[in-house]
Amino acid sequence: MKRLMILALAGLFLMTAAGCAKKTAAPISSMTDTTPVVTDMPSRDISGIDEPSISGSAVMDDSAMGGSSDLYGAQGLARIQFDFDQYTLTAEARDTLAANAAYLKANPSKQIMIEGHCDERGSDEYNLALGEKRAAAARDYLVSLGVPANRMTIISYGEEIPLDPTSSEEAWAQNRRAEFKERN
Amino acid sequence: MRLIIVIVSFCLFLLTTPGFAAKVEISAPGQQTIPLAITQLLPIEGGAQPEIAREIHDVLTWDLDLSGLFSMIDPDSFLSDAQRLGLTSSAVDFSQWRLLGAECLIKGGYRLAGDQLTMDVRLFDINGRRLLYGRTYRGKRKDLRLMAHAFADQILKSLTGTAGPFNSSLAFISNKSGRKELYLMEVDGFRPVRITDHRSIVLNPDFSPVGKDLLFTSYKAGNPDLYRKEIYSGQEARISSQKGLNIAARYRRDGRELALTLSRDGNAEIYLMGTDGTIHQRLTDNWGIDVDPSWSPTGEEIAFVSDRQGNPNVFIVKVLSGEVRRLTFEGKYNATPAWNPKGDRIAFSRMEDGRFDIYTIRPDGSDERRLTFGAGSKEHPRWSPDGRFIIYSSDEDGKKAIYVMRADGTGSRRLTPPSLGECSHPAWSASWL
Repeated sequence: MKRLMILALAGLFLMTAAGCAKKTAAPISSMTDTTPVVTDMPSRDISGIDEPSISGSAVMDDSAMGGSSDLYGAQGLARIQFDFDQYTLTAEARDTLAANAAYLKANPSKQIMIEGHCDERGSDEYNLALGEKRAAAARDYLVSLGVPANRMTIISYGEEIPLDPTSSEEAWAQNRRAEFKERN
Repeated sequence: MRLIIVIVSFCLFLLTTPGFAAKVEISAPGQQTIPLAITQLLPIEGGAQPEIAREIHDVLTWDLDLSGLFSMIDPDSFLSDAQRLGLTSSAVDFSQWRLLGAECLIKGGYRLAGDQLTMDVRLFDINGRRLLYGRTYRGKRKDLRLMAHAFADQILKSLTGTAGPFNSSLAFISNKSGRKELYLMEVDGFRPVRITDHRSIVLNPDFSPVGKDLLFTSYKAGNPDLYRKEIYSGQEARISSQKGLNIAARYRRDGRELALTLSRDGNAEIYLMGTDGTIHQRLTDNWGIDVDPSWSPTGEEIAFVSDRQGNPNVFIVKVLSGEVRRLTFEGKYNATPAWNPKGDRIAFSRMEDGRFDIYTIRPDGSDERRLTFGAGSKEHPRWSPDGRFIIYSSDEDGKKAIYVMRADGTGSRRLTPPSLGECSHPAWSASWL
């Protein structure tokens, strides 16, 4: 008799247990129907900038960056190209740098800024660093050719200022470059 | 006797298994979803403002659909109870909703007095015939969407234990003005607003996890320098202008330190810096390029990109010991790591044939999964504060735009419209409430 009762109790437990374990999403919380909590939304007034009605293109205006986009920096300093993902100087680049060095030695008061650029492939941040290595490689080679280091500063623009914003091998080859801008 | 003890113990064990605490994980598609009915809110008193009801409905539907937790019951099938205010469980005719197969129900009312809006919202459990969550939100009419987002966050918290991230902000870079400037927008892409006027190149924002400010890099002063900007006051300060690069700064989770790349010593390395720009420590020391830091949530490790072993790959450095290990071994170019808030996955992008796709991997380097496929290049993944979603930039529609998807790669949708030009470098804030 006692055993039967206990078994019946056990059976009852089993049934309640099965009922409690819900199949789909049983919620974490439930609330009684009391007056709900009030949330006052803080005002989120962000200092925004009014958009001027610029109907400009999205292409970067290179002149605002302090240079021209002629093949030569305005005063006879030619740019050099790089291979993909490389900052080493090609033979052609070395020839161009030799010419640039000659120009700079002939104009000893000229100070220049060397810009390093990349094509659009690859990660933006990595390209900022790679662009800097390209500018540094050009600078170091010019130093080895006798141009004093204190006449040159470097800056990287990564992939931010392409010469040719299209996506093609030709455009990319153009964009992988170091440019020489006179600062005075 | 022993048999009885065994049986009773077993039943007691079953009783204590948390049937109530069954958390619903959003994982692979095909997982069972909760049929949800979202009704349009009704006026509590006074005249109806259908635009208010419709907008709240739109916000909730978008958020809860993105969550992946629910399947939506078609509003055209709603019966008469949808027209009743129903702010308490006794006022709801649950049988109507059970007829439609709904398991959860959203109902509520609103009141507009001048420009003050009150939303009285409820989440009901149909099978249990009871209220799961209720709250009254008060604010300005113009903050209607934020109130609805806050409610969506709480709905997720009620059902899963973790609040949603919908009441937060996204930052991104857009060249709509002709230059790359910094913008903010809401999580669903609404109300984009420009917040910088540098007229130069602004890059790579990061929200403070504790304060209401952002870090970003700008060439405004002629060099890639690091700036911090307060979101509400608009106040800006240049905090790091070391020679060379001051890029890709990321706050540690307690907001007290940042990791970034400097090249002041002649090579791009990862540094730790105070929020005032003081250099604390150089973390990497290698001839290669070291960029793109991402903190683990504990702050003990930082994932970053380095080409020290050839092509760019993701590595992990222990902050205290400086010990470095490599994370990615597949593919030839892995970049833009982002450690998720839970700490158990790292998102990154892999370049193949000139195009990037987004992957995630465990911090021990196992279980690599590809999240994005198809045309276009997808980069710069960043996680939502609850770890459920990933935002990223993709040019699959021609120009770069910001997209959001679930952490498993499903549910992707575009956030920035073509009228915003090229948009990239997204970042996700902490939840505001």
